[in-house]
Amino acid sequence: MSLTRFLAIAGFVLAGVAVLAVEWAARRPGSRVPSIGDVAALVMRYDVGGLPVGRLAILGFWFWLGWHFLAR
Amino acid sequence: MEQRPELTVEPVRPWARAQVMLPVFVPFSLIGGLLPSFSLAANLYVLALGGGMMLAGMSSRLPRRAAPSGLLPGVAWWLVPVAVFVVVEVITFAMGSTHDYPTLSLLADPLLDGYLVRSLAYFGWLAGFWGLVRR
Repeated sequence: MSLTRFLAIAGFVLAGVAVLAVEWAARRPGSRVPSIGDVAALVMRYDVGGLPVGRLAILGFWFWLGWHFLAR
Repeated sequence: MEQRPELTVEPVRPWARAQVMLPVFVPFSLIGGLLPSFSLAANLYVLALGGGMMLAGMSSRLPRRAAPSGLLPGVAWWLVPVAVFVVVEVITFAMGSTHDYPTLSLLADPLLDGYLVRSLAYFGWLAGFWGLVRR
């Protein structure tokens, strides 16, 4: 395995571990860190002129993610 | 940002609970696991499931969970995993997404070729989608 491939895999693993760590910190009692669900919920409430831009963006991103990994 | 309390305080209907919906996703995931990437069937299947979820998510008739009134000061911690991911993904993508510089997609493809992992990925995608729809 080349060094660059190892570093890339390590970087993705580190990002995943960081997600778990921050979510764990958010779920502790009295935490000042919002959970990933709370962050998504707040973004999804963002409207522009009555158009739910935040909701469309988050749901559309998740839709694309599924298509990208499972269908394309 | 506009408050829409009428969308966040509705009572949860029994069928909308995770305990009801998650088992529903199991057969859909098991079917999805049979459909290989790049196939027409997989594309149509994901488009049908995702389209249904999008419609459910944009409908104001579906009960939604209570949303926070504002962000806690520790939200900046979420920038750490995002920054790490973006840096690695941008570099590997810029280098052509090769064996020596693999993007996440390139690393995930061989894993998603297996039926079990593929079915689990479908389940995770649908469960996450449902979680967002309820938000």
